[in-house]
Amino acid sequence: MLLTCLLIVSLACPAFALDGKMILEQVDRNLNPESYETYRKLINIEPDGRKKEFTLFSVKKGTDKVAALFLAPASDKGRSTLRVGDNMWLNIPNIGKPIRITSLQSVVGGVFNNADILQLDYTAEYDVEKVEEKADQYILYLKAKTKTVAYDRLKMWADKDKKLPTKIECLTEAKMLIKTLYFKDVKDFSGGIVRPAVIETDSPLYKGYKSIIILAKIKKKNFKDEVFTLTFMTNLESLR
Amino acid sequence: MFWLIPKLAGAEESYTFDPAETEKKPYYVGGYLEFKPVLLGLDHDSAFYKLRFFNDPRGQNLLEANGRIQLEGSYENNIFRIYAKTNTDLKSSYSGESERSTFYELYGSVKPLTNLKFDVGKKTMKWGKGYAWNPVAFVDRPKDPDDPEQALEGYIVATADYIKSMDGPLKTFSFTSVLFPVYDHVNEAFGNNYKLNAAGRFYFLLYDTDIDLLFMTGGSRTDRYGVDFSRNISTNFEVHGELAYVRNFQKSALDVSGNRNMVEGDAVSYVIGMRHLTTFDLTTIIEYYHNGMGFSGDDMKNYYSYIARGYNTYQTTGNATILNNALQMSEGSYGRANAMANYLYVRFSQKEPFDIVYFTPALTWMMNTDDQSWSLTPELLYTGITNWEFRIRTGIIVGARNSDFGEKQNDYRIELRVGYYF
Repeated sequence: MLLTCLLIVSLACPAFALDGKMILEQVDRNLNPESYETYRKLINIEPDGRKKEFTLFSVKKGTDKVAALFLAPASDKGRSTLRVGDNMWLNIPNIGKPIRITSLQSVVGGVFNNADILQLDYTAEYDVEKVEEKADQYILYLKAKTKTVAYDRLKMWADKDKKLPTKIECLTEAKMLIKTLYFKDVKDFSGGIVRPAVIETDSPLYKGYKSIIILAKIKKKNFKDEVFTLTFMTNLESLR
Repeated sequence: MFWLIPKLAGAEESYTFDPAETEKKPYYVGGYLEFKPVLLGLDHDSAFYKLRFFNDPRGQNLLEANGRIQLEGSYENNIFRIYAKTNTDLKSSYSGESERSTFYELYGSVKPLTNLKFDVGKKTMKWGKGYAWNPVAFVDRPKDPDDPEQALEGYIVATADYIKSMDGPLKTFSFTSVLFPVYDHVNEAFGNNYKLNAAGRFYFLLYDTDIDLLFMTGGSRTDRYGVDFSRNISTNFEVHGELAYVRNFQKSALDVSGNRNMVEGDAVSYVIGMRHLTTFDLTTIIEYYHNGMGFSGDDMKNYYSYIARGYNTYQTTGNATILNNALQMSEGSYGRANAMANYLYVRFSQKEPFDIVYFTPALTWMMNTDDQSWSLTPELLYTGITNWEFRIRTGIIVGARNSDFGEKQNDYRIELRVGYYF
């Protein structure tokens, strides 16, 4: 009898264990459709309050293709970045030919880097090592799948009901804090997309500096694969 | 330094983004203004100083004031687009004031499909993977290795781009075909006249490596073929290279007696380079360039001797024939940047040292490895004010007599560049 009870309990337990991968997939889909276009503004704020703003148009397809085009300011207009899997390129209009860049660089300066601007799904780049359940949120411990990923570890706090991140700590392999992202101001962008409109970032490496991404529009849209190629980089404006 | 003052704590600021900022207009107009005063420290003993100032000797320094105005605009309607970029260079120097205006680019585009585009007009192609040099840039004007990021004037061409994406190790294939006419008033300085040239570039993204195969043929210049590649060895370490094979290249060089001899043969030029980024944002670019069409040390010594002979003749008789001949040769191959055969380029740039945001100091060193003459250019760049760019550079040139950098007109150069985008 005792053995039968133990067997029933052990079979039932997996049904109640948290599926971290499933939670992370839901977070990804709640943040963005798999293929979409979006307009974002990046604001770098210096300790004295001075700001520099960049306006970007971005498109994404599937798990590993992202492209971004700078619309403002005038000094950066026409600049574009492209990501295909682990490959990243930057195209500056005057130079004209795309050059390879790394995810840890920043084409805009400040706290945000290329990995933040050309972000893929979290499930594409991270495995869930552990998930904890708190009263109203999950805490997911993520480990990068490869050495090419910008941040080796993430610690993600996600709202339990909305399955949206509220905070992410980006860490090194030794769990040293690189930066923290705060997801704020949940808005309905229509098309079934309800997600944070503001992401604030600060970093112990840049004390007193803050960077902010604001989403203005996000829309589900399909693109041909040829959009995400070097040859097409100078034509991204035609997608708007 | 005011940017070190910590922000006062206060109420959380709300951020807005007006969707009107994302509305696309069918037209765009913008531009760039530049002011660039330059102080040149002259080397009175150098061959190129004697060549340029034999009848107008100068003091120790020369001051130049340069200005640049670039305007660009585009209009788009459905699958059609027209784009134009003008460039006006203004100069005030010892020789007076000058102004030169031209269209850098002016072309129309038709894009019937996502993966197919046609352009006709004046445009730049910008082929190649090298930073300072591009031997495979068959359809472009040569860039200035001292300032490789400057905009260039294009050529009048007709192009077609076809792109194909795939799954598997070959992720992307594209082909760019180019028709390049050379006639009266159409690309006429490019080479032999009354020719319709063809060029092309096949691009592959294969096993995460960018690879191009390039060619040009048609008669305005001799046939040439090229290959280039670029790949990340690790996330912060990139390698790249170019190789160009030029058939039946003709080079006119002076012999010891000052006679011009034509040498013909096939030439191979190549660039091999790398780019590395450290965890503290120091970027290092190193490139080695072999110019198969360049002059040897003896070729250049003969040229410098010719100038010296011409200068002595002028000093004693007033006859400037030899110097005028030498001046004409300098406007061709002898006077171009990196006219000799082998160069090494090293550039360090450090992003935001000491947490000074938008500040990038850099150091560039270029050496002629045949005669060990070199130039060193430290620079400071600041882009912290939106749409403004401030750069100050100094250039120091070191080399023995009869060496590449040693015989240049200047010993040093100090340059300020203030740019404004609108």
